[in-house]
Amino acid sequence: MDREEILKMLKSPANWGQKYSLWVVYFCTGCGVIEIPPVITSRWDAERFGVLPMATPRQGNLFLITGYVSLKTLGAIIRTYDQMPDPKYVVGFGSCPVNGGMYWDSYNTIKHLDKYLPVDGWIAGCMPRPEAIFMAVVHLWQMIDKGIATGYKRYKENYGYYERNQREILPHLAKFGRVETTAGRNS
Amino acid sequence: MSEEDLKKAIEQGVDAATTTVQKKGRLVVTVPKAGAVSALILLKARGFEHLSAISCTDWLEQGEFELVYHLWSYADRIHVMLKTRLPRENPRTVTASPVFRHAQTYEREIHEMYGVHFEGNPRLTPFLLDHWQGPPPMRRDFDTRQYVQDTFGSIPSVEE
Repeated sequence: MDREEILKMLKSPANWGQKYSLWVVYFCTGCGVIEIPPVITSRWDAERFGVLPMATPRQGNLFLITGYVSLKTLGAIIRTYDQMPDPKYVVGFGSCPVNGGMYWDSYNTIKHLDKYLPVDGWIAGCMPRPEAIFMAVVHLWQMIDKGIATGYKRYKENYGYYERNQREILPHLAKFGRVETTAGRNS
Repeated sequence: MSEEDLKKAIEQGVDAATTTVQKKGRLVVTVPKAGAVSALILLKARGFEHLSAISCTDWLEQGEFELVYHLWSYADRIHVMLKTRLPRENPRTVTASPVFRHAQTYEREIHEMYGVHFEGNPRLTPFLLDHWQGPPPMRRDFDTRQYVQDTFGSIPSVEE
Protein backbone atom coordinates (compact mmCIF):
# COMPACT_ATOMS: atom_id res chain seq x y z
CA MET A 1 0.00 0.00 0.00
CA ASP A 2 1.40 3.38 -0.91
CA ARG A 3 1.37 6.41 1.33
CA GLU A 4 -1.44 8.23 -0.45
CA GLU A 5 -3.72 5.31 0.23
CA ILE A 6 -2.96 5.55 3.95
CA LEU A 7 -3.97 9.20 3.97
CA LYS A 8 -7.20 8.43 2.13
CA MET A 9 -7.94 5.63 4.51
CA LEU A 10 -7.41 7.81 7.55
CA LYS A 11 -9.56 10.52 6.01
CA SER A 12 -12.53 8.29 5.57
CA PRO A 13 -12.15 4.67 6.65
CA ALA A 14 -15.71 3.89 5.66
CA ASN A 15 -15.24 5.05 2.08
CA TRP A 16 -12.02 3.13 1.88
CA GLY A 17 -13.72 0.00 3.05
CA GLN A 18 -16.71 0.39 0.80
CA LYS A 19 -14.77 1.06 -2.32
CA TYR A 20 -12.73 -2.12 -2.09
CA SER A 21 -15.70 -4.31 -1.36
CA LEU A 22 -18.15 -3.65 -4.14
CA TRP A 23 -20.39 -6.64 -3.91
CA VAL A 24 -22.56 -7.05 -6.94
CA VAL A 25 -26.12 -8.20 -6.56
CA TYR A 26 -26.31 -11.28 -8.70
CA PHE A 27 -29.34 -10.17 -10.62
CA CYS A 28 -29.37 -10.89 -14.32
CA THR A 29 -31.63 -8.68 -16.37
CA GLY A 30 -30.74 -9.20 -19.99
CA CYS A 31 -28.22 -10.56 -22.41
CA GLY A 32 -25.47 -8.43 -20.84
CA VAL A 33 -25.09 -10.92 -18.07
CA ILE A 34 -23.26 -13.19 -20.48
CA GLU A 35 -20.20 -11.04 -19.71
CA ILE A 36 -20.46 -11.63 -15.98
CA PRO A 37 -19.27 -15.29 -15.78
CA PRO A 38 -15.87 -14.53 -17.38
CA VAL A 39 -15.57 -11.47 -15.18
CA ILE A 40 -16.10 -13.25 -11.90
CA THR A 41 -14.21 -16.42 -12.81
CA SER A 42 -10.49 -16.99 -13.21
CA ARG A 43 -9.99 -15.42 -16.62
CA TRP A 44 -10.55 -11.84 -15.45
CA ASP A 45 -11.08 -12.52 -11.75
CA ALA A 46 -13.10 -9.60 -10.48
CA GLU A 47 -12.11 -10.40 -6.92
CA ARG A 48 -8.82 -8.59 -7.57
CA PHE A 49 -10.96 -5.45 -7.45
CA GLY A 50 -12.97 -6.59 -4.49
CA VAL A 51 -15.96 -7.26 -6.74
CA LEU A 52 -17.90 -10.32 -5.78
CA PRO A 53 -21.30 -11.58 -6.83
CA MET A 54 -23.73 -11.72 -3.94
CA ALA A 55 -26.79 -13.85 -3.74
CA THR A 56 -29.08 -11.46 -1.93
CA PRO A 57 -29.67 -7.73 -2.20
CA ARG A 58 -29.15 -7.35 1.55
CA GLN A 59 -25.49 -8.22 1.08
CA GLY A 60 -24.82 -6.24 -2.07
CA ASN A 61 -23.96 -2.62 -2.66
CA LEU A 62 -23.36 -2.52 -6.40
CA PHE A 63 -26.20 -3.14 -8.79
CA LEU A 64 -25.22 -3.85 -12.39
CA ILE A 65 -28.19 -3.52 -14.71
CA THR A 66 -26.95 -5.86 -17.37
CA GLY A 67 -28.87 -5.30 -20.54
CA TYR A 68 -32.38 -4.45 -21.61
CA VAL A 69 -34.96 -3.92 -18.92
CA SER A 70 -38.44 -5.15 -19.64
CA LEU A 71 -41.34 -3.85 -17.62
CA LYS A 72 -41.60 -7.06 -15.66
CA THR A 73 -37.90 -6.90 -14.81
CA LEU A 74 -38.09 -3.26 -13.83
CA GLY A 75 -40.54 -4.17 -11.08
CA ALA A 76 -38.08 -6.72 -9.73
CA ILE A 77 -35.18 -4.27 -10.09
CA ILE A 78 -36.98 -1.60 -8.10
CA ARG A 79 -37.91 -4.11 -5.46
CA THR A 80 -34.31 -5.34 -5.25
CA TYR A 81 -32.90 -1.83 -5.17
CA ASP A 82 -35.20 -0.82 -2.35
CA GLN A 83 -33.93 -3.75 -0.30
CA MET A 84 -30.24 -2.95 -0.66
CA PRO A 85 -28.56 -1.23 2.27
CA ASP A 86 -26.92 2.17 1.88
CA PRO A 87 -24.52 3.06 0.36
CA LYS A 88 -25.52 1.48 -2.91
CA TYR A 89 -24.41 2.16 -6.44
CA VAL A 90 -26.17 1.47 -9.72
CA VAL A 91 -24.28 1.03 -12.96
CA GLY A 92 -26.11 0.66 -16.25
CA PHE A 93 -24.34 -1.92 -18.35
CA GLY A 94 -24.65 -1.84 -22.12
CA SER A 95 -26.54 0.53 -24.33
CA CYS A 96 -30.03 -0.73 -23.54
CA PRO A 97 -30.42 0.81 -20.07
CA VAL A 98 -28.95 4.07 -21.42
CA ASN A 99 -31.46 4.81 -24.15
CA GLY A 100 -33.17 1.58 -25.08
CA GLY A 101 -30.41 0.44 -27.44
CA MET A 102 -31.77 -1.81 -30.14
CA TYR A 103 -35.07 -1.92 -28.24
CA TRP A 104 -35.61 1.81 -28.74
CA ASP A 105 -39.07 1.23 -30.23
CA SER A 106 -40.03 -1.88 -28.32
CA TYR A 107 -43.37 -1.78 -26.53
CA ASN A 108 -42.20 -3.69 -23.48
CA THR A 109 -38.77 -2.37 -22.49
CA ILE A 110 -37.99 0.87 -20.72
CA LYS A 111 -35.82 3.40 -22.52
CA HIS A 112 -34.22 5.47 -19.77
CA LEU A 113 -33.24 3.67 -16.63
CA ASP A 114 -32.42 6.90 -14.82
CA LYS A 115 -36.06 7.91 -14.86
CA TYR A 116 -36.80 5.11 -12.44
CA LEU A 117 -33.58 4.64 -10.44
CA PRO A 118 -30.61 6.90 -9.71
CA VAL A 119 -27.71 5.70 -11.81
CA ASP A 120 -24.13 6.39 -10.80
CA GLY A 121 -22.46 5.40 -14.02
CA TRP A 122 -22.92 3.93 -17.43
CA ILE A 123 -20.93 1.43 -19.43
CA ALA A 124 -21.62 2.01 -23.10
CA GLY A 125 -21.41 -0.67 -25.73
CA CYS A 126 -23.23 -3.68 -26.99
CA MET A 127 -21.70 -5.80 -25.50
CA PRO A 128 -19.13 -4.05 -23.36
CA ARG A 129 -16.00 -6.13 -22.87
CA PRO A 130 -15.17 -7.42 -19.38
CA GLU A 131 -12.38 -4.84 -19.24
CA ALA A 132 -15.07 -2.17 -19.46
CA ILE A 133 -16.54 -3.46 -16.23
CA PHE A 134 -13.18 -2.99 -14.51
CA MET A 135 -12.85 0.48 -15.94
CA ALA A 136 -16.26 1.23 -14.54
CA VAL A 137 -15.20 -0.15 -11.17
CA VAL A 138 -12.11 2.07 -11.14
CA HIS A 139 -14.20 5.08 -12.12
CA LEU A 140 -16.58 4.24 -9.33
CA TRP A 141 -13.65 4.14 -6.90
CA GLN A 142 -12.66 7.64 -7.97
CA MET A 143 -16.22 8.81 -7.59
CA ILE A 144 -16.44 7.33 -4.12
CA ASP A 145 -13.16 9.04 -3.21
CA LYS A 146 -14.49 12.36 -4.39
CA GLY A 147 -17.84 11.74 -2.72
CA ILE A 148 -19.88 12.10 -5.90
CA ALA A 149 -21.27 8.56 -6.15
CA THR A 150 -24.35 9.66 -4.29
CA GLY A 151 -27.14 8.01 -6.22
CA TYR A 152 -28.73 6.58 -3.10
CA LYS A 153 -28.94 10.06 -1.57
CA ARG A 154 -30.47 11.50 -4.73
CA TYR A 155 -33.03 8.70 -4.64
CA LYS A 156 -34.13 9.80 -1.20
CA GLU A 157 -34.08 13.51 -2.02
CA ASN A 158 -35.94 13.15 -5.33
CA TYR A 159 -38.08 10.21 -4.33
CA GLY A 160 -41.21 12.00 -5.52
CA TYR A 161 -39.85 12.20 -9.04
CA TYR A 162 -38.75 8.58 -9.13
CA GLU A 163 -41.94 7.33 -7.55
CA ARG A 164 -44.06 9.27 -10.02
CA ASN A 165 -42.20 7.73 -12.95
CA GLN A 166 -42.33 4.26 -11.45
CA ARG A 167 -46.02 4.56 -10.70
CA GLU A 168 -46.72 5.78 -14.22
CA ILE A 169 -45.63 2.57 -15.90
CA LEU A 170 -45.88 0.08 -13.02
CA PRO A 171 -48.97 1.06 -11.05
CA HIS A 172 -49.39 -2.52 -9.86
CA LEU A 173 -46.17 -2.72 -7.83
CA ALA A 174 -46.66 -4.12 -4.36
CA LYS A 175 -45.11 -1.07 -2.75
CA PHE A 176 -47.86 1.13 -4.17
CA GLY A 177 -50.42 -1.01 -2.40
CA ARG A 178 -52.67 -1.69 -5.35
CA VAL A 179 -54.87 -4.76 -5.43
CA GLU A 180 -54.44 -7.16 -8.34
CA THR A 181 -57.33 -6.50 -10.70
CA THR A 182 -56.20 -7.43 -14.17
CA ALA A 183 -56.78 -11.19 -14.22
CA GLY A 184 -58.66 -12.25 -17.30
CA ARG A 185 -58.08 -9.05 -19.20
CA ASN A 186 -58.10 -9.44 -22.95
CA SER A 187 -60.51 -12.31 -22.77
CA MET B 1 -46.53 -43.12 -46.15
CA SER B 2 -45.61 -40.93 -49.10
CA GLU B 3 -46.62 -37.32 -49.59
CA GLU B 4 -49.12 -38.28 -52.31
CA ASP B 5 -50.85 -40.85 -50.10
CA LEU B 6 -51.08 -38.32 -47.33
CA LYS B 7 -52.52 -35.74 -49.69
CA LYS B 8 -55.22 -38.16 -50.74
CA ALA B 9 -56.01 -39.11 -47.16
CA ILE B 10 -56.34 -35.49 -46.07
CA GLU B 11 -58.50 -34.46 -48.98
CA GLN B 12 -60.82 -37.40 -48.39
CA GLY B 13 -60.91 -37.00 -44.63
CA VAL B 14 -61.35 -33.26 -44.21
CA ASP B 15 -63.99 -31.12 -45.87
CA ALA B 16 -62.77 -28.45 -48.27
CA ALA B 17 -59.12 -29.11 -47.62
CA THR B 18 -56.66 -28.24 -50.33
CA THR B 19 -53.26 -29.83 -50.18
CA THR B 20 -50.13 -29.00 -52.13
CA VAL B 21 -46.88 -30.86 -52.01
CA GLN B 22 -44.30 -28.09 -51.89
CA LYS B 23 -41.32 -30.37 -52.15
CA LYS B 24 -40.22 -33.71 -50.81
CA GLY B 25 -41.17 -33.90 -47.18
CA ARG B 26 -43.24 -30.73 -47.05
CA LEU B 27 -46.99 -30.36 -47.39
CA VAL B 28 -49.15 -27.27 -47.17
CA VAL B 29 -52.72 -27.97 -46.16
CA THR B 30 -55.30 -25.21 -46.25
CA VAL B 31 -58.53 -25.86 -44.40
CA PRO B 32 -61.45 -23.67 -43.40
CA LYS B 33 -61.60 -22.64 -39.78
CA ALA B 34 -64.15 -25.29 -38.83
CA GLY B 35 -62.00 -28.13 -40.19
CA ALA B 36 -58.75 -27.30 -38.43
CA VAL B 37 -59.20 -29.47 -35.37
CA SER B 38 -60.51 -32.45 -37.31
CA ALA B 39 -57.52 -32.16 -39.62
CA LEU B 40 -55.26 -32.16 -36.58
CA ILE B 41 -56.95 -35.29 -35.23
CA LEU B 42 -56.60 -36.99 -38.61
CA LEU B 43 -52.95 -36.10 -38.91
CA LYS B 44 -52.16 -37.12 -35.36
CA ALA B 45 -53.72 -40.52 -36.01
CA ARG B 46 -51.39 -40.86 -38.99
CA GLY B 47 -48.24 -40.36 -37.01
CA PHE B 48 -47.92 -36.60 -36.87
CA GLU B 49 -47.30 -36.62 -33.18
CA HIS B 50 -45.19 -33.48 -32.91
CA LEU B 51 -46.92 -30.12 -33.05
CA SER B 52 -43.80 -27.99 -33.14
CA ALA B 53 -45.43 -24.57 -33.25
CA ILE B 54 -48.54 -22.59 -33.93
CA SER B 55 -47.83 -19.30 -35.61
CA CYS B 56 -50.11 -16.43 -36.42
CA THR B 57 -49.82 -13.99 -39.31
CA ASP B 58 -51.69 -10.74 -39.55
CA TRP B 59 -52.94 -10.18 -43.10
CA LEU B 60 -54.11 -6.64 -42.52
CA GLU B 61 -55.02 -5.87 -46.14
CA GLN B 62 -57.24 -8.93 -46.42
CA GLY B 63 -58.69 -8.47 -42.95
CA GLU B 64 -57.67 -11.92 -41.80
CA PHE B 65 -55.45 -13.75 -39.37
CA GLU B 66 -53.74 -16.89 -40.58
CA LEU B 67 -52.96 -19.63 -38.08
CA VAL B 68 -50.31 -22.14 -39.13
CA TYR B 69 -49.96 -25.41 -37.26
CA HIS B 70 -46.58 -26.99 -37.88
CA LEU B 71 -46.69 -30.77 -37.58
CA TRP B 72 -43.88 -33.25 -37.94
CA SER B 73 -43.98 -36.99 -38.39
CA TYR B 74 -40.94 -38.80 -37.07
CA ALA B 75 -41.83 -42.01 -38.92
CA ASP B 76 -42.38 -40.47 -42.37
CA ARG B 77 -40.16 -37.42 -41.98
CA ILE B 78 -42.81 -35.11 -43.38
CA HIS B 79 -43.50 -31.56 -42.28
CA VAL B 80 -47.11 -30.47 -42.63
CA MET B 81 -48.12 -26.84 -42.45
CA LEU B 82 -51.80 -26.73 -41.66
CA LYS B 83 -53.10 -23.29 -42.50
CA THR B 84 -56.41 -21.78 -41.59
CA ARG B 85 -57.76 -18.26 -41.77
CA LEU B 86 -59.90 -16.31 -39.32
CA PRO B 87 -61.62 -12.97 -39.77
CA ARG B 88 -59.74 -10.12 -38.17
CA GLU B 89 -62.89 -8.75 -36.55
CA ASN B 90 -63.63 -10.82 -33.46
CA PRO B 91 -61.22 -13.66 -34.26
CA ARG B 92 -62.39 -16.87 -32.62
CA THR B 93 -61.60 -20.50 -33.23
CA VAL B 94 -61.66 -23.80 -31.39
CA THR B 95 -58.72 -24.79 -29.25
CA ALA B 96 -56.38 -27.61 -30.29
CA SER B 97 -55.44 -28.39 -26.71
CA PRO B 98 -57.49 -31.63 -26.36
CA VAL B 99 -55.51 -33.03 -29.30
CA PHE B 100 -52.09 -31.67 -28.39
CA ARG B 101 -51.89 -30.68 -24.76
CA HIS B 102 -49.02 -28.27 -25.24
CA ALA B 103 -51.03 -26.28 -27.79
CA GLN B 104 -52.47 -24.57 -24.75
CA THR B 105 -49.29 -22.53 -24.30
CA TYR B 106 -48.98 -21.59 -27.97
CA GLU B 107 -52.59 -20.49 -28.01
CA ARG B 108 -52.11 -18.52 -24.85
CA GLU B 109 -49.31 -16.59 -26.47
CA ILE B 110 -51.25 -15.97 -29.68
CA HIS B 111 -54.17 -14.81 -27.59
CA GLU B 112 -51.95 -12.33 -25.82
CA MET B 113 -50.07 -11.08 -28.85
CA TYR B 114 -52.88 -11.03 -31.43
CA GLY B 115 -56.08 -11.18 -29.43
CA VAL B 116 -57.29 -14.40 -31.05
CA HIS B 117 -59.77 -16.16 -28.78
CA PHE B 118 -59.49 -19.94 -28.59
CA GLU B 119 -62.76 -21.42 -27.39
CA GLY B 120 -62.23 -24.20 -24.91
CA ASN B 121 -58.72 -23.22 -23.89
CA PRO B 122 -58.93 -23.11 -20.10
CA ARG B 123 -56.00 -20.79 -19.57
CA LEU B 124 -56.16 -17.70 -21.75
CA THR B 125 -54.65 -15.56 -19.01
CA PRO B 126 -51.88 -12.95 -19.36
CA PHE B 127 -48.68 -14.70 -20.22
CA LEU B 128 -45.50 -12.86 -21.16
CA LEU B 129 -46.60 -9.27 -20.86
CA ASP B 130 -46.93 -7.82 -17.42
CA HIS B 131 -50.20 -6.03 -16.70
CA TRP B 132 -50.64 -5.07 -20.33
CA GLN B 133 -53.36 -2.52 -20.90
CA GLY B 134 -53.00 -1.65 -24.59
CA PRO B 135 -54.21 -3.50 -27.68
CA PRO B 136 -52.51 -6.79 -28.61
CA PRO B 137 -49.03 -5.64 -29.56
CA MET B 138 -48.19 -7.93 -32.48
CA ARG B 139 -51.10 -6.77 -34.61
CA ARG B 140 -49.90 -4.76 -37.51
CA ASP B 141 -52.18 -1.84 -36.84
CA PHE B 142 -50.66 -1.41 -33.38
CA ASP B 143 -48.48 1.69 -33.65
CA THR B 144 -45.42 0.70 -31.64
CA ARG B 145 -43.59 4.00 -31.88
CA GLN B 146 -46.62 6.01 -30.87
CA TYR B 147 -47.15 3.64 -27.95
CA VAL B 148 -43.51 4.00 -26.89
CA GLN B 149 -43.79 7.78 -27.14
CA ASP B 150 -46.91 7.80 -25.01
CA THR B 151 -45.75 5.26 -22.44
CA PHE B 152 -42.05 5.86 -21.93
CA GLY B 153 -41.70 9.43 -23.22
CA SER B 154 -38.39 11.07 -23.84
CA ILE B 155 -37.87 13.22 -20.77
CA PRO B 156 -34.23 13.95 -19.94
CA SER B 157 -33.17 12.74 -16.53
CA VAL B 158 -33.46 14.83 -13.38
CA GLU B 159 -29.80 14.46 -12.59
CA GLU B 160 -27.18 17.12 -13.27
